[in-house]
Amino acid sequence: MEKTTSQKLQLGVFVIIGLLLFILAVYFIGDKKQMFGKTNHLSAVFNNVNGLQLGNNVRFSGINVGTVRGIEMINDTAIRVDMLIDKTIFPLIRKNAVATIGSDGLVGNMIINILPGKEGAASILPGDQIATINRIRTEDMLITLDKTNKNAALLTTDLLKITNEINQGTGTVGLLIKDSTLAEDLKQTMHYLKITGKGSSESIIKLNRLISSLENKNNVIGVLKDTAVANTIKSVVQNLKQTSSQINNVIGNLDTTVVNIKGGKGAINYLSNDPKLVRKINSTMDNIKESSFRLNENLEALKHNFLFRGYFRKQEKAKLKEQKKEEEQK
Amino acid sequence: MLMNTFSKIIELFKAFLLEVGELSYFAGRFFQETFKRPFEFKEFLRQCYNMGNRSLLLVAVTGFIIGLVFTLQSRPTLQEFGAVSWMPSMVSISLIREIGPIITALICAGRIGSGIGAELGSMRVTEQIDAMEVSGTNPFKYLVVTRVLATTFMLPILVFFGNAIAIFGSFLVENIKGKVSFLLYYNQVFNALEYGDLIPATIKTFFFGFAIGLVGCYKGYYCKKGTAGVGLAANSAVVFTSMLLFIIDFIAVFITDIFYDL
Amino acid sequence: MDTLLQNQKSIIEIKDLRKSYGSNAVLAGFNMVLREGENLVIMGKSGSGKSVMIKCLIGLEQPDGGSITVMENDISKLDREELDDLRTEVGFLFQGSALYDSMTVRENLEFPLRRHKKKFGVIKDTTPMVMEALENVGLANTINLMPEELSGGMKRRIALARTLILQPKIILYDEPTTGLDPITAKEILLLMMSIQKKYNTSAIIITHDVDCARMISNRMILLVDGINYIEGTFEELSISTDPKVQAFFK
Repeated sequence: MEKTTSQKLQLGVFVIIGLLLFILAVYFIGDKKQMFGKTNHLSAVFNNVNGLQLGNNVRFSGINVGTVRGIEMINDTAIRVDMLIDKTIFPLIRKNAVATIGSDGLVGNMIINILPGKEGAASILPGDQIATINRIRTEDMLITLDKTNKNAALLTTDLLKITNEINQGTGTVGLLIKDSTLAEDLKQTMHYLKITGKGSSESIIKLNRLISSLENKNNVIGVLKDTAVANTIKSVVQNLKQTSSQINNVIGNLDTTVVNIKGGKGAINYLSNDPKLVRKINSTMDNIKESSFRLNENLEALKHNFLFRGYFRKQEKAKLKEQKKEEEQK
Repeated sequence: MLMNTFSKIIELFKAFLLEVGELSYFAGRFFQETFKRPFEFKEFLRQCYNMGNRSLLLVAVTGFIIGLVFTLQSRPTLQEFGAVSWMPSMVSISLIREIGPIITALICAGRIGSGIGAELGSMRVTEQIDAMEVSGTNPFKYLVVTRVLATTFMLPILVFFGNAIAIFGSFLVENIKGKVSFLLYYNQVFNALEYGDLIPATIKTFFFGFAIGLVGCYKGYYCKKGTAGVGLAANSAVVFTSMLLFIIDFIAVFITDIFYDL
Repeated sequence: MDTLLQNQKSIIEIKDLRKSYGSNAVLAGFNMVLREGENLVIMGKSGSGKSVMIKCLIGLEQPDGGSITVMENDISKLDREELDDLRTEVGFLFQGSALYDSMTVRENLEFPLRRHKKKFGVIKDTTPMVMEALENVGLANTINLMPEELSGGMKRRIALARTLILQPKIILYDEPTTGLDPITAKEILLLMMSIQKKYNTSAIIITHDVDCARMISNRMILLVDGINYIEGTFEELSISTDPKVQAFFK
């Protein structure tokens, strides 16, 4: 009989420790998901949640502060995301804080990032709704960039043709002189082109550096090397290179043209006889304006993309530092 | 010749269907008898002790080794990607979701399933089961119900132990090779784990335990006369249980997957 | 003595018992009567259906046809509860002793008491009953041993004690001397006879051992080809000229 008593005791210990392990696991998992702490609700409306799931983490300035508790379609373009946020964090989040959806690492889960708002605004209250930014997805961005590149390429070939014609004395530059607004436009265009050229060559360098850094890093991002995304980026960069070299050509040509105009040289009389060409140049310039604007927009979009976010943020920080330095020097 | 093979295959298939049918009937009887009084509580506890406590060492040792080996083996690959920091999450998720339950269940199928098969088989052969029947004790309740319930409830607990020890083994490797502190390891593990990993895997283990007990009892209870019959009962209990475990595992993962998508 | 027994009322009656496994008809219309206080020996070759018959009697096997009446109860009409109650009156000594390997001798003997408490009312301490049963078979000192520590003859005696602990009115012996040396077998037979005297039980003994039959039987039935081939005392049968009967006494 004694044997069975000690057996019972041992069995009791065994079962209790086993169940304790399970309960601890349940508790620790719940603890990490902010299930047992004191929390309050916060919501934000997105038009795309990019595969966010219930239970995903919410970060405020990079610290895990809560989890996603509800994802609900309000209408065909708006999705309300309900979050459970640690109570103690509430005073630190201001009403003008902004929520964005990102991913935790390159292949990680989706997360919600709450970016701190500017100073001065009041703290949020439980149940509040905060503003959101919808990020352009990489894919969309690359498609637009590609289109812009094609347009720019078409444009530059056209321009090249024209400037060549002008240089060879076969163009109708005469009108250019007579029409002062046109000359002004030309100047402006050149200005834009220069900026664009500079911008694009700069962005190429940045992209190159980024990609080479990606390649150097022997980490998960390495996966990216093989993906279609990477290939697209590469081709985009190639296009950008071509475009910018062409733009440079154009600028060079235009420069000589303008110098020629100023110096009274060239076959100006041709221009007066060909109003069609003038209109063409006009529209071309509009196109250039538009495309250079678009290129800038793309660079802006790139900034917001999660891949390059860190890089651009660093740059902004550096800029801010410089500004501060300058202010201090003053 | 071809016809011969064909008819043989049909025979085998028939035998298989018969086996499944008999086992289902056996399971049905189990549920019928489980809810009938009296409940053999003392014997149930004795079986729990035999299956739980006595298997703990085996489960602990194998769990520990699995944890060590699994970590050591995956380290180089993760290192290549520079993702060694993902080790705790990877190890814990795969252990909790799959490796822990299935390895523990297989070990218990070997230890407990064959034990039950051999024990009940020899009891059948030496007429001990008949003797019980004559003594006015329902042998099905006394032998089968208690054992099946014991495996059903003990296996999940053994799996908890196995998982905990395996993760500890994995931590040791990371601690020695990667200089990872316990706190960091713990943080990584529980950051990666979710209820969706733990709960379905735990539910699954109850079915594993049930299958081990049921098949072991079935094979033993209907053991053929003779000593060879006992060996066969023990052997086929292990083989059949192992196969059944994988089938249950597949179904469990399949169902979990569906719920994950919802 | 025989005439005396014939006047006794019957406590077991088997009529036209049939049982077959697949196409093999083991019992094909077996008839038998057991009267109170008699030792009935049933002889037959191995596989002739003796064990099957005795298992049908106690409800371990379901017959295909025929009727079995034990102490005026039709076995086939009893539910589980009633069958268990009846089983307290019918002891069964298994061929291989069938002691529970995982239990001590004491637990082995206590086991039947678990369910059959009804017969004795509430038992607070089973020790006196266990001791009495063990003393009956002369093995009181083995109470805390495990079955594996016992010899074959001791096991058989413990099994007998386990059968006796419920104080049954009928005892069914399935090959009580098989697997034992002649001396031990004789001991067991003497024990069986002394128990019969002490508790005034009736018994059916299944055997193919002629010595056993000679010693213990009041009456014999030969089971051949699934039927009760011939019936009579040992002396009557042993001088029979029927070759099938003679085969047993060679």
